[in-house]
Amino acid sequence: MSFDPKILGIACNWCTYTGADLAGTTRMKYPPNVRVIRVMCSSRINPSFIIRGFQLGADGVLVGGCHPGDCHYGTGNLYARRKLAITRKILDFAGMEPGRFRVEWISASEGNRFAEVVREFTEQVRTLGPQTKFKITKNGQ
Amino acid sequence: MTAFKKIEDNLRKEAKSLLESGKVTLVLAYAGGFDEKHPVPYVAKAAADADRLVFNEYCTHNMARYLTRYPKGTRIAVAVKGADSRAVVQLIQEGKVRRDDLVILGIPAAGMKNQKTGEIIDTRTTGSAINPVIHDILLGDEIHGVKAGSPYDVLAELEGMDKDARWAFWKKEFEKCIRCYACRKACPMCYCDPCFMDASRPRWADKSPTGDGTLMYHLTRFYHLAGRCIDCGECSRACPVDIPLYLFHKEVAKECEVMFGQAAGMNIEDKPAMANYKGEDSDQMLGS
Amino acid sequence: MLKKIAIDQFSELVKALLEQGLLYAPVKGTDGVNFRAIQNPADVTLDYYNTVLSPKAVFFPQSEDLIRYRIKKDTPEAQPVPLENRPAVILGVRPCDVRSFEIMDRHFLGAGVIDPYWKSKRDSTTVIGFAFDVNAAADPADFYNTFGYGAADPEGSDVFMIRADGNLLLRGMTDRGEKLLASLGCLQAGDARDEKAFDETVKKGKAVRTRSAEINDKEIAKKLVDIFDNGEFWQKVTMACIACGACTFVCPTCYCFDISDETLFKEGARKRFWDACTFTDFTLEASGHNPRPRIFQRYRQKVCHKYSYHVDKYGCISCVGCGRCIRSCPVNIDIFGIVVEAGKL
Repeated sequence: MSFDPKILGIACNWCTYTGADLAGTTRMKYPPNVRVIRVMCSSRINPSFIIRGFQLGADGVLVGGCHPGDCHYGTGNLYARRKLAITRKILDFAGMEPGRFRVEWISASEGNRFAEVVREFTEQVRTLGPQTKFKITKNGQ
Repeated sequence: MTAFKKIEDNLRKEAKSLLESGKVTLVLAYAGGFDEKHPVPYVAKAAADADRLVFNEYCTHNMARYLTRYPKGTRIAVAVKGADSRAVVQLIQEGKVRRDDLVILGIPAAGMKNQKTGEIIDTRTTGSAINPVIHDILLGDEIHGVKAGSPYDVLAELEGMDKDARWAFWKKEFEKCIRCYACRKACPMCYCDPCFMDASRPRWADKSPTGDGTLMYHLTRFYHLAGRCIDCGECSRACPVDIPLYLFHKEVAKECEVMFGQAAGMNIEDKPAMANYKGEDSDQMLGS
Repeated sequence: MLKKIAIDQFSELVKALLEQGLLYAPVKGTDGVNFRAIQNPADVTLDYYNTVLSPKAVFFPQSEDLIRYRIKKDTPEAQPVPLENRPAVILGVRPCDVRSFEIMDRHFLGAGVIDPYWKSKRDSTTVIGFAFDVNAAADPADFYNTFGYGAADPEGSDVFMIRADGNLLLRGMTDRGEKLLASLGCLQAGDARDEKAFDETVKKGKAVRTRSAEINDKEIAKKLVDIFDNGEFWQKVTMACIACGACTFVCPTCYCFDISDETLFKEGARKRFWDACTFTDFTLEASGHNPRPRIFQRYRQKVCHKYSYHVDKYGCISCVGCGRCIRSCPVNIDIFGIVVEAGKL
């Protein structure tokens, strides 16, 4: 039995989350491994969410937001891009596998793209296996 | 060769004059400690206090960290070396201190020594600024021609490791952490009150030194200092258990410079990198 | 009795101690030399002045589970964690640090309520003290002479160990210590020459000079209370303090702790863990009010606790002059200097 990854998804309300809804309503098939948390904008994302996600057992973290230039609030995702870029560098330097963290810009009309990204990312994380580096074990890691 | 005695004499002279004339109400510099190798950060308030000021190769403390203790409007003279001066610039960028409130006493210094080990402090553990990047009064002659590599050269070993080896390295280092928070308190840029570690809702990390709490603390601090860390190395010198925090901070600082095109604390007119975006930003930065 | 073993046979002694139970001894790591639970005899070092952190963690760990619980359908199911009663030896404790255990005993055992966690570990641990090198100068930060301690005082240890001429000499100082020595087959009996060497070293240890001052417990206790409101003095001597917790955590006689329930996924523990009176939120109340919001107030409280309130409450100064706080302080605050200056006011 191959390992079934648990993936934390954080999606912005106006674009990615709506895109995910579209994937659902149009009955697209994609793996159920991504558990989505909705935020109003990708700039709401505190990098600590991502670290905490890994600590709580996520095998992968997928962040989705509007395409730069199309943020519902104008510039939120432009700040988010810098934040998430630094988050990636920090995770990399700490030794976390880069394939476990992914950022995608997915618009509200890109239901099929959402499904495709989830399919791809799930397989990518499945190949990497269970995440053990940050994951909290009993008696504190 | 840095003329420490000359700088000390100038420091006393300038401090006395500034306090006497009322140009400033405080001078942040150094005084003697229990021995010569252990000077202490000192606040001179009266002209007579200026006689207690010292400057030698062990005066490694970043006096900029004390600036945020005082309300805006307090006229302060602060003695700063290269990296320390960048902290002053960064604090001005962030609006924590006003340029007009400060008289910056710049100290060009090479050959500073680590108080614990006696080793010369160079770009391996601190930034490359030997001369202050900003000053009102220079207490010594600017130093030119010192051969110093890039402050990021020291990262080569860690960058060259595969990720599992790197994780093993950091895991072992963080296991030493006793959560004394000397690193946080020594840092001039950690002025948040309350700090995220003091919050109970949400509880980012528990108070007891569990591995996950310690990891969350340090990784978050590395993130909070992104584009703000001015590479003074104080965090690492403050650490009682010698965790090489400066390595991680340098890596983040390097990436900020590469991705965002600016280094922390160089120009007063800059906007802090993480509170900004530019047209040139591209999705490239999201790749690993 | 006096026993001995050649220094190059030291690992035999360590092995023998390991066979008897837990062994805590100094280990050199990238964090300097610190006491650790030993697994491999080769890890133990005798090559140090003093450890960075004090040995108090052997009896009073930085984090200790008191109660473990699971939350089942909104109600917790909790069990107190059984007390440790494991035979243990701590090897390599310097004389000033040995005295710190006695000071800690006063509040953990002698204050009306007995701390069972401290007691169970203390009762089952044999202390092997270790003399400083009496031929070397003391570290400039140390000031243990102030409390009448010498560099090779055997009092307070169960066994006291001295390095002399390529040998380690071990004298049993208590019944427990004698029992331990008798059980160690790898040791040889010490002869008259060894006895002389031991006594000479203790004597020489009394002549090792550290910084020192005439500090009378009751006088300093009163003086500190008298100058409590001298804001100018306290702000002056604490102006460099950055309010971290390094001094508190390395100190052998600091014992403040916090208690919190730490839960994850419906399972957790009520723990106690070291706290520091220098931390900003040490006295922060649930209402949001903080009686000691400023650094000088907190550092003043630290000095007064150790050199005044502790004298009134427990009969002695809560400090052994080991110098660790001074060595670990990021800004070189010198508590000895502060107390001496306060005494002169």
